[in-house]
Amino acid sequence: MLKYTAKRLLQSLITILIAVTVTFLLMRMLPTDYYFTEDQLMKFTPEQKEAALEAAGLLDPIGEQLIRFYGQLLHLDFGTSRRIQSGIAVTRVIGSKMGVSLRLGVISIGISLVAGLLLGIAQASFKDKVIDWIGTVYTVIVNAVPSLVIYSLVLVFGSKYLGFPSLYSSRNVGMSSVLPIVSLSLASIASYALWMRRYMVDEMTRDYIKLAKVKGLSYSQIMFRHVLRNALVPMVQFIPQALLLTISGSLLVEQFYSVPGMGPLLTDAIKRYDTSVVQTLVMFYAALSIVGIFLGDLLMMIADPRITISGKGGSR
Amino acid sequence: MAKASDFAGKKDDELFYVVDYSPEEAERIGYSNYSYWGSVLKNFSKNKAAVFFLVLFLALVIFSFIALAIAKYDYATLVTDSSLAFKKPNGEYWFGTDNLGRDYWCQVWYATQVSIRLALIVAVGESIVGVIFGLVWGYVRSLDRLFTEIYNLFDSIPYIIYMTLIALIVGQSFTIMAISMVAIGWLPMARRVRNMVFMYRDREYNLASRCLGTPLWRVLSKNILPYLVSVIILRMAQSIPATINLESTLSYLGLGLGIETPSLGLLLSKVRGFFLDYPYLLIFPASIVSIISIAFYIMGNAFSDAADPRNHV
Repeated sequence: MLKYTAKRLLQSLITILIAVTVTFLLMRMLPTDYYFTEDQLMKFTPEQKEAALEAAGLLDPIGEQLIRFYGQLLHLDFGTSRRIQSGIAVTRVIGSKMGVSLRLGVISIGISLVAGLLLGIAQASFKDKVIDWIGTVYTVIVNAVPSLVIYSLVLVFGSKYLGFPSLYSSRNVGMSSVLPIVSLSLASIASYALWMRRYMVDEMTRDYIKLAKVKGLSYSQIMFRHVLRNALVPMVQFIPQALLLTISGSLLVEQFYSVPGMGPLLTDAIKRYDTSVVQTLVMFYAALSIVGIFLGDLLMMIADPRITISGKGGSR
Repeated sequence: MAKASDFAGKKDDELFYVVDYSPEEAERIGYSNYSYWGSVLKNFSKNKAAVFFLVLFLALVIFSFIALAIAKYDYATLVTDSSLAFKKPNGEYWFGTDNLGRDYWCQVWYATQVSIRLALIVAVGESIVGVIFGLVWGYVRSLDRLFTEIYNLFDSIPYIIYMTLIALIVGQSFTIMAISMVAIGWLPMARRVRNMVFMYRDREYNLASRCLGTPLWRVLSKNILPYLVSVIILRMAQSIPATINLESTLSYLGLGLGIETPSLGLLLSKVRGFFLDYPYLLIFPASIVSIISIAFYIMGNAFSDAADPRNHV
């Protein structure tokens, strides 16, 4: 187990390193003008630019730059933002945005876990009845229809008929968070419900359930004591990943409601060529999703001691 | 049915007689009128919802051409005229006008064609690339490790990051968009194909083929690929709503297609600020894009059920 964890952590580190290197190289392919703030670009003469680049070590051979970059990473120095918030450490820029995304994300996960699992349980318990049918239609619609359309509908319905603000504002956080949270939750409710139903229906056809029926256990006893508890085991592996990914925020939702979170930060940083922010963000996202998957597997092992994860990387 | 009593007391000579060899008869007996694609079609057509959506989708495609042909304005020659902005749908402007006073009808139908074209190209492209890589990944053992690492590398970073980087570094156009979507989208397909190949690669008939020296590509294409049809079709059909979704998200973030090739996603993102007051700007593109996505989602599921030989007899 320990050996497996160590091996997997090492693999993850290598993956993150490669991802960061690729991003670093891609960003270095951009014209050097992007290393200056808009202000500097206007004022600087070509010689001054050259000198500034020289001083920052940006004219060195790419290999040298890369090694220096790794050195900085080892010291946990992620650089400073150049354009988003000029001269401020990247970690502070990200930190200030993370709170907003985290709050929205955690609330939405809470809601969607409860609603999704309940919907899934209801669908499985009343299989092929009206509620199952409604749930299926809901999952098909949410899965098939583009999120942009769904968010637009939420927006129209929520702001026109229910009177919620159509844009996020820091002065009225409570009310203006409602629509972003609903938008974030809709898709995850559908996916939790879909998997919950699937696992429960699979479990219901097992032999030991037949035995329980023969023994004369009531329907609700069978459903809650046996089916539900076994079906929850595979569900737990989604939870850490979902929790961690909320930190990164949903790009579209945050852009759609102008939430000042992590989502818009990435596109913003890339669009404005804020290289150190982009590199840090890519590393951050990669680390989050790798850690999430790993924690998910671990949690599943804790929930069901019969499961042991093998060392095979591709068995996921 | 002949009863046992019919034969009682008869001699063997009376019960049996020798027939001549007849090639026609032999053919007739040996021939079964089972055809794979015939059965697929038959099973698919049993699913009423899927057939309905297929017809609806085809009608939509055909109508988009008719709509552009009968439109009063041509997309290429639209002019902005703010005095005509936000006209509700009427006899002159069938879908009304947008915020710049341009005819919405021709924009919507033109965008529909662009969206469908992009989705189909990406679906076909990523299937081809995904199937080829998936077959090799699954079949050639020594490459498994390498491919798995590449897969994990790509998969551990949100796709949107790649798309954003590509859009900014390479540029934004229909071709770039299609290529970059294929470049990312083949991964899930390759993974599924690889898992299926793992199941079939060491079956006895494949061992036999290998012993007999059948070339690799022939084993892959004749022995293994036919098993994968339903998986491939399902993934292809799923990729169409996914492409439309990703494209609209990217367009909304300003990383999608250029202005000269408007997609439904681009239209939707342009009207974000107005559709609360002018709902028709949302309804038309949103319903078309929803119909396309739902149609492929349902057709894909139905088709993959129908393509599975185990459901045939």
